[in-house]
Amino acid sequence: MSAVELRGVGKDYGPVRALHEISLALDAGLLVWLAGANGAGKSTLLRVLGSLTRPTRGSVSLFGVDPFRAACAAVRGRVGFLGQEASLYGELSVAENLHFCARLRGVAEPELEPIAAELELEPVLHQRVRTLSQGYRRRAGLARALLGSPSLLLLDEPWNGLDAAAGERLTRLLVRKRDGGAVVLVAAHEASGPLPRFDRTLRLEGGSLSAEGAAA
Amino acid sequence: MSGASVARAVFAKDLLLDFRTRDRLGHMAVFALLVVALLSIAVPASADERRAWSPALLWMVLLFASLLGLARSFQSEAEGGALALLVQAPVDRGWVFLGKAAANALALFGVALWTAVLFTVFLDVDWSEAWRPALAAGALGALGLAALGTLLAAMSVAVRFREFLLPVLLFPLVLPVLVLASSITGAALAGRPVPGLWWGVFALYDWVFVVLGYLVFDYVLED
Repeated sequence: MSAVELRGVGKDYGPVRALHEISLALDAGLLVWLAGANGAGKSTLLRVLGSLTRPTRGSVSLFGVDPFRAACAAVRGRVGFLGQEASLYGELSVAENLHFCARLRGVAEPELEPIAAELELEPVLHQRVRTLSQGYRRRAGLARALLGSPSLLLLDEPWNGLDAAAGERLTRLLVRKRDGGAVVLVAAHEASGPLPRFDRTLRLEGGSLSAEGAAA
Repeated sequence: MSGASVARAVFAKDLLLDFRTRDRLGHMAVFALLVVALLSIAVPASADERRAWSPALLWMVLLFASLLGLARSFQSEAEGGALALLVQAPVDRGWVFLGKAAANALALFGVALWTAVLFTVFLDVDWSEAWRPALAAGALGALGLAALGTLLAAMSVAVRFREFLLPVLLFPLVLPVLVLASSITGAALAGRPVPGLWWGVFALYDWVFVVLGYLVFDYVLED
């Protein structure tokens, strides 16, 4: 059984076809690059995998269950998602946001400190998110996505807003997550800067999977 | 991970945001103050007429004030993309609805108490003999408004004309709440007993929309 499996997935927004007949299977312990130009459907595909957007057609299976079924909702706790926004409350501090997300996902509080330390968030932990720089906001969003050691990590342009040192730390972190058995799916385009060595590449064009490579 | 703990987390977070920003509560409270102050000038001065008008006016003020609050109940989620957090909660999303509706109900109940005080100050309404049924009507009314309003606010959060859409959807559905709440408040202020049937219908109406919200929120939250 693959960790992630999509069969004939399509997503329409009215007359616009955002995804078309996507079928793929990803095993555990892979670092996967989701490549493609702007508007190719990368973010939509990540949102479908993160159970944020229900596909119009086809089926999604995460760790053997359909995440859109209320009875299988617990599987959403195994997915960490970082979209183009940090998905945090601006009027709450970073620590309050992380505590809230931990409660929402049933994650034990002691997990928060190591994640905050790993992403060097300690100086801003008690600052409200709306006062943070773009880079810190991005790191706080990453910390939120990493809560609960997800088995599937979905990251949309995670290097955006990070300086070179923070970007390199993130790359090492993603590799460690992959080595720990997680599926790490990263949407990024070539202009995002130096990217890590991926195990597989999925290339989207116009909402369709156009090519797949073993390594990039 | 239990649904109840998710509902409690959402409830506590919404209350914290309300107390920290004071936007929502402040806007509702100031709106109620201004309208009741204007009513004190416009409504006839005789005590009997004021007693007769007050229940309906009080609930109209509350309805319009609640619109301000309900329209903003998903704003903190919409602004930072935080809606994704709620959608990704690893439980039936109905629990998220219960947490948000409970926080809205508490906020609206607070505004109802504030409005009742304003009616005493500006319109000489005497609650001393009527406070128990009026308080119960306030609680049921706040719950009904919150259940319907939370559901409709979630449905209209991504819509361009949400400030227009929310009242258009809310007003017809909330009519029974308005009628029952003002009838009970009127009977209580006049010293008449409140028929048990009214309480039963009021509680049933609230319950239907709480259950409906719980059941359909899963689909409402997904785009």
